[in-house]
Amino acid sequence: MSYRLALVYGLSALIAAAVLLPVGVLLVLGAGSEVALGAQALEIALNTLLLTVLTTAAATLIGAPLALLTTYTDLPGRPLWTGLLAAPLAVPSYLGAFAYFAAAGPGGEIEALTGLATPSVDGLLGATLVLTLYTYPFVLLSTRAGLRNLDASTLDAARTLGMPLWTALLRVVLPRVKNSLAAGALLVALYTLSDFGTPAIMRLDTFTRAIFVEYNAFGLDRAALLSIGLLGLVAVVLLLEWVVGSTRERPGRTPRLHLGRGGAAACLAAIGLLLMAALGMPLGVFTLGVLREGAGSFDPAMLVRSASVSALAAAAAVLLALPVAYAATQGRVGRILERGTYVGFGVPGIVLGTALVVVGLRVDLLYQSIALLAFGYVVRFLPLAVGNIRAPLERTEQGLVSAARSLGASPGEAFRRVTLPLILPGLLAAGALVFLEVMRELPATLLLRPSGFETLATHLWEVYEAGYFGRAAVPALLLVAVSGVAVALMLRRERGNDDALT
Amino acid sequence: MMDRRTFLKGLSALGALGVSPAWAASGAAEAVPADQLPELSGDLTVYLGRGEGGLYKQVVEAIRERNPSLSLEVRRGSSSGLANTLVAESEHGGARADAFWSIDASSLGHVASEGLTRPVPAALHEPLPEAFRFEAFAPVSGRVRSMAYNPERVREADLPERIMDLPDTDLTVGWAPSYGAFQSFLTAMRLLEGEAATRAWLRGIQGRARSYAGELGAVMAAAQGEVDLALANHYYTLRLKEGQPETSLELAFTRGDAGALVNTSGIALLSQGATPVDFARYLHSGEVQRFLAEEAYEIPLAGGVEPPAGVPALARLEPPELDLTRLGDLQPTLALMREAGVL
Repeated sequence: MSYRLALVYGLSALIAAAVLLPVGVLLVLGAGSEVALGAQALEIALNTLLLTVLTTAAATLIGAPLALLTTYTDLPGRPLWTGLLAAPLAVPSYLGAFAYFAAAGPGGEIEALTGLATPSVDGLLGATLVLTLYTYPFVLLSTRAGLRNLDASTLDAARTLGMPLWTALLRVVLPRVKNSLAAGALLVALYTLSDFGTPAIMRLDTFTRAIFVEYNAFGLDRAALLSIGLLGLVAVVLLLEWVVGSTRERPGRTPRLHLGRGGAAACLAAIGLLLMAALGMPLGVFTLGVLREGAGSFDPAMLVRSASVSALAAAAAVLLALPVAYAATQGRVGRILERGTYVGFGVPGIVLGTALVVVGLRVDLLYQSIALLAFGYVVRFLPLAVGNIRAPLERTEQGLVSAARSLGASPGEAFRRVTLPLILPGLLAAGALVFLEVMRELPATLLLRPSGFETLATHLWEVYEAGYFGRAAVPALLLVAVSGVAVALMLRRERGNDDALT
Repeated sequence: MMDRRTFLKGLSALGALGVSPAWAASGAAEAVPADQLPELSGDLTVYLGRGEGGLYKQVVEAIRERNPSLSLEVRRGSSSGLANTLVAESEHGGARADAFWSIDASSLGHVASEGLTRPVPAALHEPLPEAFRFEAFAPVSGRVRSMAYNPERVREADLPERIMDLPDTDLTVGWAPSYGAFQSFLTAMRLLEGEAATRAWLRGIQGRARSYAGELGAVMAAAQGEVDLALANHYYTLRLKEGQPETSLELAFTRGDAGALVNTSGIALLSQGATPVDFARYLHSGEVQRFLAEEAYEIPLAGGVEPPAGVPALARLEPPELDLTRLGDLQPTLALMREAGVL
């Protein structure tokens, strides 16, 4: 093993160990407790599994075509749409779930406003709908990063040989981004496994609901034990993604597909519909609340706090993800280390937060500090960054780096001038994802933040919990706006990189 | 309704509104106006469990403004989350809170059962009715269990007078089994009626019950006619009607049993010294009691403050007698709920 590889492995092992530390605490907390779930356990496991499978499938079916659309086509206003399409990641899914709960069904807001009867949105299908709307951007962003690294020539060749466009996309493009696609799908699955709010509001009995009930009844040990059970499902999902192989190829010119006026109009209509469902619906329901109860007071400093702590966590996660992702491309040990960092995303935030409280109390200086809060975010969201950086790294042709080295570039220069530009889209997507997730994260934030550190998410929770959902409208709108702008900014830099490459 | 800004100004400018003496007969001392309370100073860390959309925080901010030499740190979170945190802090040697003001008695009871609270001094008992003088914490404001129903669909006469009779009706019920307030209610039933009766009650209703994530959801369902009645804290109905006054929704109460449980928010004293006690006295002041009643529809408990129109007055309710500290013992209740297949 070369000196550099040993260094990368060592660094990754350290990061993986830090991320797994709270999981270790969880094992200690859960040791010795017992939960008798009985016959209910089977139903809970089945519900959890079905919800995860359905949501992952639906999010992939929505996210993958959108990635294609926003990467390869001449859709008017592409950066804007991409930003907006990613923005649902900033909406806490429990708010979306509540909006659908309040709007649909007999006597809901839709019926009250329009007189149209709508079916209730609840149960397995309701939870799937809501979770899909707030997780498909995982697939969208990671697939985009993968697509951007493909060379147009293979697709062009297939087309020249007479293959219809759709067949070519399915048979020539899709297999080459399958690992990016799988990385996105993995995040959807893990998010679904660890989300509490949506199944609870949709009245679906899942693992997280059982965990939350125990936690609230001061059964920390039982909550920890149930979380360990949930980790079993997380392990299965991680193994499934493991078997999706990766492909390597020389990056090149991004393909361009022309939609035509009719095609563009149809695509814009579909995008508009999706955005209405994911963003328009909650904002509409909360706006009704504003009209009824007034917007309430709102402190703009919360916005600054949310954005700055999210940016801090995003930067830290990307920085720490680099060695882990690199190690993952270097062999089996590296991949195992990388898998280790994914565990945090499958543990419900409330349990992870509790474990980190115990960690923080051991180091008094850390307890209730921004540092511990940011560490909590990294533990939970590191895989969002790792997955998006690993995929492009895997495809980076080692020959290019070797060529740069043989032309006299130092390893640092080769990284900066060859590897970095190639993985930059991945880095940006990674940062954007972590940023958005931190913006909406609630349970761990409540437990770990410094006293008095109010963010948009904690404020939203507070007014929602008390039943004042009119007061949720302004902060929810700001959350969406800031996230949309942040993503659009990152994508603008992505375009700059595009020009540099071609 | 009192404007929030007026309240803040009033409290900080030492203004006090007149206090009705209606409760003098019940043994409770009259509410002390905030300007007659001692000025607070020194360091104080308060853990604030929930807080009704920021209303509790406004109270805390008003107290902060009124006492410039007090260095006040406030940490907000879910009531059970903060209770768990307090226990973890004490186990790992990092206790830092001086007082725990929480929205539900069960979290206060849990902290007390771990031995973290100091006895409530007589000064904090005086303004409270006898039934609310506990050793572990001082109640601040009350909320009563209720049956919320749509009078266009259900006649009040069809609602049971005793909560234990609910299984004998054919009414469909909306409830929120995973919600803290419901579990507290059921814990009260378990303590008052016994485990077997509670189990039978759960099984009797289960077939006609729909579960909701929270009690606001259950109350909305009753308004929309999804269920005949919702078992919920009274204020969800009042808040829903504040936003949608045309909503057809009324409150009914059972008598002398867990169905009429008056649960409270309250403050537990965690550290020694006079400051936490004096802080708690502010929460019993006429201004704060009125503010919580008018803005959050909570039932005033201290100093005989009259509730505003719409909020049920304590004198007209028949709550069961129960030391609310015991509501912290939730695990046996969860076991019952699991046995009955409700959770």
